[in-house]
Amino acid sequence: MINFLSYLCIGVGIVFWFWGTFPLMGDRSVLFKLHSLSVADTLGSMSIIVGLLLKIPSEWPLLILALISLAIWNTVLGYVLAYCSSSDEDSHE
Amino acid sequence: MILNLVLMAMILVLLIPIYEAWQDDDIWQKMLAFASIATKTSIMILVVAVLRDDWMIGVVGVIILSVGNAGLMLLAHVLKRMNQV
Repeated sequence: MINFLSYLCIGVGIVFWFWGTFPLMGDRSVLFKLHSLSVADTLGSMSIIVGLLLKIPSEWPLLILALISLAIWNTVLGYVLAYCSSSDEDSHE
Repeated sequence: MILNLVLMAMILVLLIPIYEAWQDDDIWQKMLAFASIATKTSIMILVVAVLRDDWMIGVVGVIILSVGNAGLMLLAHVLKRMNQV
């Protein structure tokens, strides 16, 4: 049961990865790609790590640390990339 | 066995941002692709760590997750400054 659940989490994570990474190849704007990529990458990676956590619960401190740093750093990185890439023309300097 | 298939699927996904970083000339699209590559490879390192039951590898993956993104942020700010000059 637990095994099935962990594979389900990992499968959902990989589907998220594919779904968020495919728009990267189109001709849309950077912000559109950034949105789909950061949402799908963060959620998919967190789901994969939860799947691994269900598989080997004995190593939970490391995997929880990975979950937290994913949740925080990836969202912050998304904001920073959006801020840096969009304020070329209306910069205040 | 199944984790091997998972790893193959992950390598397949990883090829998309690598291709994007190679063929696009816009610097922000490249940065986006590189950020995606960083996250995906560190998750792949964690999967390999579970697969081989070796937690030294897992520690490396977590360090990349927490420190690598900070480096990308610094790089984005430097690029923005370079574009302003």
